[in-house]
Amino acid sequence: MSSTIIKLGDPLMQESGSQPSSKLSMAATPTINTLAQRLVEFDTLIDALEYAADGATGYNFYDAKGELRSVLSYNTLKHNALSAARRLSGLGLARGDRVALIADTSPEFIELFFACRYAGLVPFAMPIPVNLGSHAIYVRQLRSMLESGQASIAIANVDYFGFIEEAAEGLNIDSLQWIGTPGQLNKLSEVDTVFQPSLPEETAYLQFTSGSTRMPRGVVITEHALMCNLRGIVRNGLKVRATDRCASWLPFYHDMGLVGLVLSPMAAQLSVDYLATRDFAIRPLQWLKLISRNRCTIAFSQPFGLKLCSLRVRESDLKDLDLSCWRAAGIGAEMIRPEILRNFADKFSAAGFDERAFLPCYGLAESTLAVSFSNISQGVMSLRVDTKTLVEKKMAVRVQAEGRKFNEFVNCGRPLPGHTVKIVDENGQELPQMMVGSILVKGGSIMTGYFNNHEETAKTLKPGGWLDTGDIGFILDGDLYITGRRTDVIIVNGRNIRAQDIEELAEQQPEVRSREASAFGISGADDATIVVLVVECRLTSVEERQSLINRLQQMVYMAFGVNCLVELVPPHTLPRTSSGKLSRSAARQGFLQRAKMTDQISVAVHSGDR
Amino acid sequence: MVDINQEDILRLLAQRLASFANPELEITPDTNLITQLAIDSIKLLNLIMELEDHFDISIPLNALTDVVTVRDLANLVYKLKLDSK
Repeated sequence: MSSTIIKLGDPLMQESGSQPSSKLSMAATPTINTLAQRLVEFDTLIDALEYAADGATGYNFYDAKGELRSVLSYNTLKHNALSAARRLSGLGLARGDRVALIADTSPEFIELFFACRYAGLVPFAMPIPVNLGSHAIYVRQLRSMLESGQASIAIANVDYFGFIEEAAEGLNIDSLQWIGTPGQLNKLSEVDTVFQPSLPEETAYLQFTSGSTRMPRGVVITEHALMCNLRGIVRNGLKVRATDRCASWLPFYHDMGLVGLVLSPMAAQLSVDYLATRDFAIRPLQWLKLISRNRCTIAFSQPFGLKLCSLRVRESDLKDLDLSCWRAAGIGAEMIRPEILRNFADKFSAAGFDERAFLPCYGLAESTLAVSFSNISQGVMSLRVDTKTLVEKKMAVRVQAEGRKFNEFVNCGRPLPGHTVKIVDENGQELPQMMVGSILVKGGSIMTGYFNNHEETAKTLKPGGWLDTGDIGFILDGDLYITGRRTDVIIVNGRNIRAQDIEELAEQQPEVRSREASAFGISGADDATIVVLVVECRLTSVEERQSLINRLQQMVYMAFGVNCLVELVPPHTLPRTSSGKLSRSAARQGFLQRAKMTDQISVAVHSGDR
Repeated sequence: MVDINQEDILRLLAQRLASFANPELEITPDTNLITQLAIDSIKLLNLIMELEDHFDISIPLNALTDVVTVRDLANLVYKLKLDSK
C-alpha cells in the first residue's frame, strides 16, 4: 500500500509514463461506494475528507489518449495529505499563512491543497500558462499573486517550477520562505505534530479572480462559507445520489473546477474522472468518451466548452458515444446563449444526449461558486423579451407579437437555500420584478472580502451583507435571468477579462500615459466578442504608431490569449466623467460611432486588426 | 522512421499557416504568430492538434510560452521530435 502511495505522489513517475507493471494494476475508483453516502454533513473540508477516506471512491486522472494515468482514492489522499502536512509543519509557518500552488490537473495539487488544510495553512491556486509567447507576462502575473496573497510557500510541478523561481526574484514581499516542487517537499522530514482541527470561521482558501499584473484580487472563503455552498450545490442544485459519478476538464485554478468538480464530489464521496484542460481543448471528444465509457452522470462546462465539442467532434465519432447516462450537464461561468446549447443538443442527441440534462446555473467566486441553479432535469428554460422595451425602459417584457425584435435570456433558477438575490438601480434602490438592474446577493456563501485589499472589498461588499456581483439581470416569478455584465468585464470564449487589466497593460508602454487607455468589448460577427482598446496617442510617425499597435496587440494576446483591435486616437478624445475618470461605456459609444461614420478611421481600425 | 529536419518542419508549418493568413502575407521563419497571423485560441488548438498528430509528439503548454515566431514553433517541434526518439 505504502509503495503505491509514493508512486502516485511522485510527479516524475507520472511524467516518465508507461510503467507497464503499475499500469496493469491500476483501476479507476468505483462509482458505487462501500460507505453510506453523507451529503456534506460536515463542518470543515477535513471533516469531509476524513469521512470520504473510509470509502473506496476518489479521483482518477486520464491522459490525452484517454488512458488512466493515476488514481487518487480519498483514502490515499488523506494519507498523502497528512504526510505532506507534517513536512510543511517543519517549515515553521504560523496558522493561516498562505501557500501558493500552481494548479495543473494533477494528484499533487489536490494532495497539497488538503495538506494545507490539515496543517492550518491557507492554499491558493495559481494558473498554468496557456498563451503563446506569454513567458514574461505569466511570470509577472505569478509575482503579483504571490505578493497580493503574501505567500509564505510556493510549490509547482517540475514543468512549471522555473516560472515560480523567476517570479520569486525581485518580490516586493519578505514573506516567501520556501519554494519547491512536490518532489522536493517529499525530501523534507515529517514533523510529528498533532494538528489542531480547523474552525468553521477560519479561512479555507483564497481564490484569485483576475489576470492583473498589478492588482489581482484574492477572494477570502471561510470553511463555513465553503460548506454552505457545497451543501447547496450537492443537495439542492444537483440532488446528488449514491449512483452519481463526475467527469471534468475544468481547470483546478477556476472556482467552477475547484469548488464544483474537486471539492463538491469529495464532500458527497463521489468518484471523479479528470482530463487536463489542454487535452480537452485540443481533443474535446476525449471528455465525451470518458463520460460515455465510465457512465458519468455529472459534468459541467462553460458554454464555450460545449461549442468546442460541437465544432470539433466529427459525425463519425458519434456512433461510439452513449451519453444517455449524463443527467446533469451544468452550464455556467459566462452568459449562456441558448443557440450554443441547442447546437450541442442537436448534434449529440444522436449519441443519446438528453437535452433535459442541461442545468443552467449562476455564480461567482465571491459567493464561493454557486448562487442559483435552475431545476434539475428540466433542461433550458428561456424567455424572449421585447428588445425595444428592454433598451428604452430597462424592462423585460415577454415578446407579444410575431416579428418584433427580441432578446432571449436563459432562466438561471432560484437562489440556494439561505441566500437572497435582489435587483437594484444605480442608487441602490430595490427594483420590482422584470426591471433590469444590478444583481446583489446575500447569504452564507459570501466571501469575507478580498485578501488584504480594503478598497476593492468596500466597493464590492455593501452594507447589510450584500455582495455586488457586477452582473446585470432581472427576476421573474422568483427566477433569476442574467442579461449582461457591467462594462468592466469582457467575456471572450468563456474567459472573463477585466477591462482594467487590459488598460493597465497599455499604460505600461512608454508612449501611453496613465488614464489614456480604455478597453471594452463589442459584438462582432455571429455574436463573438471582440476586445477593443482605444488609446490616446501623440505619435505622428506611421512606423511608430504601427509599432505601438503591434506591441499592444502582442501584450494583450500574451496576457489574455485574445486578439484585440487597437485604435489610436488624438489626446482628449476619450470621454471622461466630471471627476476625470474614463467612462468605458462612453468610450465604447464613441468607438462605435467613429467606426461607422468615418471610413478613414474604420480602415485604420481594420488594418490594426490584422 | 524518416529523418526529419528543421527545414521540412518550417516548410510544413508555413503551408499550414498560410490557410489562416491573409493571402498577400508571405510567411517567413520570422513571421510573428501573434501580431501578423492573429492566431486565436481555436486556430491555435487546431494547429497544435495537427502538429501533434503529424509528428506524433505531445506539445506541453509550458513550452508554448516562449513561442512567438514561426521559427520558434518549428524549433520546438524539432526538439520535441528529437526527444521522443
